[in-house]
Amino acid sequence: MGIYLDNAATSYPKPEAVYRAVDRFMREIGASSGRGAYRQALLADKVVFSAREALGKLFGIRDASRIVFTSNATESLNLAVKGLLKAGDHVVASSMEHNAVWRPLKRLEAERGIEITVAPCAKDGSLRPEDVIKAIRPNTRLVVMTHASNVTGTLLPVGEVGAAARDRGVLFLVDAAQTAGTCPIDAGTLGIDLLAFTGHKGLFGPTGTGGLYIREGVDLLPFKEGGTGGESILEHQPDHLPDRFEAGTLNISGIAGLLAGVDFILTEGIDRIRGKEKELTGHFLRALEIIPGIEVYGPKDPEKQVGVVSLNISGVMAQDVAYVLDEVYGVMVRSGLHCAPMAHRTIGTIDRGTVRFGIGYFNTIEEIDTMVQALAEIAGKTLTWK
Amino acid sequence: MFLEDITLTFIAPCIADPEKIRLIAEVSTDISGVMPYLNAVMKNATYNRKGPSFTFMKEFRLVNLYPGKITMAKALNTTDAWQVLNWIKDMINDVYEKRDSIVPNYELRSKPTALQIYGWLPRKNCKECGEVTCLSFAVKLLLGEKSLGGCRLLFTPEYAEQRKTMLEIVAALGYETVEGLDSKTGYRTQ
Ligand SMILES: Cc1ncc(COP(=O)(O)O)c(C=O)c1O
Ligand code: SF4
Repeated sequence: MGIYLDNAATSYPKPEAVYRAVDRFMREIGASSGRGAYRQALLADKVVFSAREALGKLFGIRDASRIVFTSNATESLNLAVKGLLKAGDHVVASSMEHNAVWRPLKRLEAERGIEITVAPCAKDGSLRPEDVIKAIRPNTRLVVMTHASNVTGTLLPVGEVGAAARDRGVLFLVDAAQTAGTCPIDAGTLGIDLLAFTGHKGLFGPTGTGGLYIREGVDLLPFKEGGTGGESILEHQPDHLPDRFEAGTLNISGIAGLLAGVDFILTEGIDRIRGKEKELTGHFLRALEIIPGIEVYGPKDPEKQVGVVSLNISGVMAQDVAYVLDEVYGVMVRSGLHCAPMAHRTIGTIDRGTVRFGIGYFNTIEEIDTMVQALAEIAGKTLTWK
Repeated sequence: MFLEDITLTFIAPCIADPEKIRLIAEVSTDISGVMPYLNAVMKNATYNRKGPSFTFMKEFRLVNLYPGKITMAKALNTTDAWQVLNWIKDMINDVYEKRDSIVPNYELRSKPTALQIYGWLPRKNCKECGEVTCLSFAVKLLLGEKSLGGCRLLFTPEYAEQRKTMLEIVAALGYETVEGLDSKTGYRTQ
């Protein structure tokens, strides 16, 4: 087995408890939640509820019913943006956004006539809160930004922007795809009105899990209607959460795994997880400094970024680096634009993309060293080829 | 921990209000012992020592505690039900922890108000009880001048949850429950 360094795409491996929880759920419970009065169905329901509660604990959300399950961060972001914005609304987004934010916004711009202002980030992906604040106008309905870039790992100043948005009565949506489960997030303190997260990255859940926290008082229009188990008699989708946004049978086997993942995080402690990420990332960044011919993007400071590092080796195409790392060294990384062309425009790599390393909690210093050795060899060869 | 676990065992739509749900949950520990302590700290609850049972409203939800189970009616959905059950569990454990500093109260702490009783009646003002309004029936019920059985509507299946709560309250008030009623189901025996 090689070295997996694509945790920014999806985390792997998962904690052992996650595999067991999914297996156990499918074998021993296997019923649909909220849709039956028999014991198994009630157990399924309990799993879903416990997952909500565990996520609430992790994100400092007291009322777990404000967390609705979706299939991933993309669906959560679509729900938030499309459920909220109307004609004439203005939105501010950072220039490091993922397509999961950017494409829904562009669609609404074309279809509903919303207006978008992009708050420019610096070349290392960092954002000055004042650049967001400057962009806020009287008709600004929403500020949306990623908590950390999936290209450079750069952490964005969510706390400052959240406070500023709150002061101005503007809603604040955070894309926590890269930080949920790896960085402390307290929705209340950070001033977050809507928090989109995915289950399969830092939260260690299976793919096809995710959710959206909707602060009390924020009303969104659901984009799907259907069965919710209870209240079948109503002709309309029920108004209260989470049912309002959870039409259709949930991915409960996935949610069972997600629950185990979040429980793992709560047991290990988010500070310890973040600590290990910083240690591994710092080690990698220091090692990269001494290899000639490598350009590293982002803040190059583990305090200012998550375990995502993007780089290029001069004279080699990003996809070739990724290919050689895999074929020759068994190191799994990703190359290209990582679904975030705007971020690549910001850091100046729109034409070539980057090689991205996604460091996870289960990586080790030894693995990082092996990879650095591999990079040094690739860079050395190309340097001598010149 | 005193009360480790609450397990949902039954869930169904409310009969009178099918948009809401009613449920039964089993408790892993006999909770009769904490009832007098709960009675000392909770306002607007009704403790029936003989049952024993402990009845209260959590906002719009009707909650009945029994030695081995909890029933709830008018919960919004299962998420809501779980949240309230967890809240009950925490409250019970908290009161149990602090029981040495609480003076248990074995009596009916405070009489429910006529308005509270009114809230549990069918509120149809159908006059069958001989009163002009449900509210006046509620007042007379509190005074012991009327018996619960006077409200026929309450004893139709539609009002099963309210009936249960009302029976607990009337019993706790020390009044005759209702003549000619099955003590378990609350239905008329004939
Ligand atoms: C910053 C960011 N936002 C959104 C997403 C979308 O997540 P998902 O594919 O789980 O919907 C990702 C990951 O791909 C991401 O890195
Ligand atoms: S019989 Fe019941 S519903 Fe009718 S008026 Fe009297 S209390 Fe109200």
